[in-house]
Amino acid sequence: MAMHAERSAALHELTSAPIQHAFNPYEDNGGTILAIAGKDFSVIAGDTRQSQGYSIQTRYARKVWQLTDRAVLATNGFAADGNNFVKKVKQRLEWYEHAHHKQMPLKSIARMIQTILYGKRFFPYYVYNILGGIEEDGTGAVYSYDPVGTYERESCRAAGAAQSILQPFLDNQIYFKNQTPEPGAEPFIPGNLPLSTVLALVVDSFTSATERHIEVGDGLEVYVVMKKGRPTDDLVGEGKLAPGMAVEELDALGEGDGEKTFLVTRSLKRD
Amino acid sequence: MNQHPAMWGHPMTPHQAFNAHTAFPLATPNPMRNQHASSPVSHTQQPLVTGTSVLGLKYKDGVMLAADNLASYGSLARFRDIQRLHPLGNHTCLAVSGDMSDYQYLKKELDGLLREEEALSLSDSHPALHPSQIYAFLANLFYARRSKVNPIWNAILVGGWDATKEESFLGYVDLLGTTYSSPTLATGFGSHIAQPLLREAFEKKAGIDGKGELLTAEEAEALLNECMKVLFYRDARSLNKYQIATVTKEGVQISESKSAETQWGFAEALRGYGAQQQ
Amino acid sequence: MSIMEYNGGSVVAMVGKDCVAIATDMRLGQQSIGVAHNFEKVFPINDKLYYGLPGLASDVYSLREHLRFRVNMYRMKEEREITPKTFTHLLSSTLYEKRFGPWFLEPVVAGLPAPTEMEPHPKPFISTMDTIGCITTPKDFAVAGTATDKLYGVAEGLWEPDLEPEDLFETISQTLLNAVDRDALSGWGAVVHVITHDKVITRTLRSRMD
Repeated sequence: MAMHAERSAALHELTSAPIQHAFNPYEDNGGTILAIAGKDFSVIAGDTRQSQGYSIQTRYARKVWQLTDRAVLATNGFAADGNNFVKKVKQRLEWYEHAHHKQMPLKSIARMIQTILYGKRFFPYYVYNILGGIEEDGTGAVYSYDPVGTYERESCRAAGAAQSILQPFLDNQIYFKNQTPEPGAEPFIPGNLPLSTVLALVVDSFTSATERHIEVGDGLEVYVVMKKGRPTDDLVGEGKLAPGMAVEELDALGEGDGEKTFLVTRSLKRD
Repeated sequence: MNQHPAMWGHPMTPHQAFNAHTAFPLATPNPMRNQHASSPVSHTQQPLVTGTSVLGLKYKDGVMLAADNLASYGSLARFRDIQRLHPLGNHTCLAVSGDMSDYQYLKKELDGLLREEEALSLSDSHPALHPSQIYAFLANLFYARRSKVNPIWNAILVGGWDATKEESFLGYVDLLGTTYSSPTLATGFGSHIAQPLLREAFEKKAGIDGKGELLTAEEAEALLNECMKVLFYRDARSLNKYQIATVTKEGVQISESKSAETQWGFAEALRGYGAQQQ
Repeated sequence: MSIMEYNGGSVVAMVGKDCVAIATDMRLGQQSIGVAHNFEKVFPINDKLYYGLPGLASDVYSLREHLRFRVNMYRMKEEREITPKTFTHLLSSTLYEKRFGPWFLEPVVAGLPAPTEMEPHPKPFISTMDTIGCITTPKDFAVAGTATDKLYGVAEGLWEPDLEPEDLFETISQTLLNAVDRDALSGWGAVVHVITHDKVITRTLRSRMD
């Protein structure tokens, strides 16, 4: 009997313990981002849906940000962290411009972002970042990060909800993985594709992700950064864009050194 | 900074210490670093007295917000005459759901801020805060508090009229510091029940891009009345006594409390639920 | 630990013009340890009908034998070959028999139905189902296994309607290889079967072995 009482008391303790409902300071707001570097341009894209669980919070929330005349940052993960992270990065870039009378170079922005992210190593920004733009030598570049600042320069990267859907496709189409040229033909060189091909791949990637992932859709924003002096007619020329797409040139943020940034928009399925 | 050996050991004046090339105040010591709290710090760990969902809608002349008058204590309908729509200045209005004590703290904080702003405007040509600025303040406050793991347990809609841009404003901010805007918004249960109805009615007239003609004041109010009724039918923490705030270029106007006309006749024939069987 | 991810492996099937293809990786693992690189997960019923069983390796053997028995019984009773559609339903009900203690497999079926009087030009057929036999019959491609989402991404980007056998082979091969290269639990070689009306083309693919 005593044993029985003891057991039931233990059982009671187990089942009647107050359910700890600790505050969770993080959330996943879905969406996906992607960037591809070209020889003299860089393309940074993201969808515009913001969701929480199965609910769409808004069909238009910005995930891709113009930082300088040669740098664009895409953020994905927890939207509140993303927005505040971008705010902090922009503030540091402004301080730099006041101190040095020039905009911060891309590779320095890349290192600064790693420092800011690692600075919160033990309460991280739950954000996956991709930085794209033009290096000082005029080449297109993409830097990708994890939430605590590990980073790497690459030719292309997808991140966010549909990363696993997009990355193997990009491996195949951008890095030519598992492809061999015909005997005697030129070898494939990654990071050398023409802008029109890259843009078509970006659009195909996002329509695929929209088709197969519930957190991706509503709208697509593609930022194109071009090296100074590069002809722009392959983007803004008559009939260069697929139907349903619009392009606008964005104003220079600094002195206007010659690099150009364009914003290409397109709608995505809303279901 | 002068590193010459002759200067070693000589403290610098503030003027000398100023470094024009410092881009980040890394060296500033944090005075709070070594202080210990004298008693355990208490945080809001869960909401206690709560208000249910609130709705917001952009229409032709501005923004409309709706909230019922109930503050619940768990499942108890504890306070049945609480106003959850709060005007801030002439062109901004809050609609607040979530913890009501945190809401009262927010009211006090924001009213204090607006009083200071008003004092400045009396002696100076100090411009009034725009809705977007109040919204930014709230977003920063909510994010700062969540980052201290001490959240303000609310989901808030900010409705307003931007007198400079001559356009309406509607934004959402919650305890995580998450922000977004959309022509129609709802918090909590309303985001499941009312938001689809709001979107459907909004897009039917304005189109999916929202570029068409918006709903008129009459249509918007009728839509909110309908949504509050549907919420009352299905949200167990709601009350059929609610208010609607309109924010236009004329200012903020908050209606008297009102009720939706409900129909319960169908319930007579229902059998098999609850205690009553057959 | 998920049982569906214990051994790893993936299968994909695709529809072409008067042909179908089905492909599998060859990895057998125990979680992160690779154990074998000759573990095929696609088997023939006859020369017009193949099926793949990605999932728990022990169940691959058991269910394959179970199905061999049931298809042989069908052959003897009906004195004809089973059609892809009928086989899909046979497989589905076999899985549903174990509704509350399921086979840990997500089968994929690919076949070319033989022409009949009623249906002189039958369409190529693929289907897939979950562990308890809920069928889907896509018009384009079917994927299953630990690289499912990766396969969806590449297939969605590469597949197009009415591919001839050789083009279908290239499409399904590229889809499988690029997907499994991003999946730690799949890979270690691959096998592709392209089923046409007059022959089955079976090829073993070299791939990354890491």
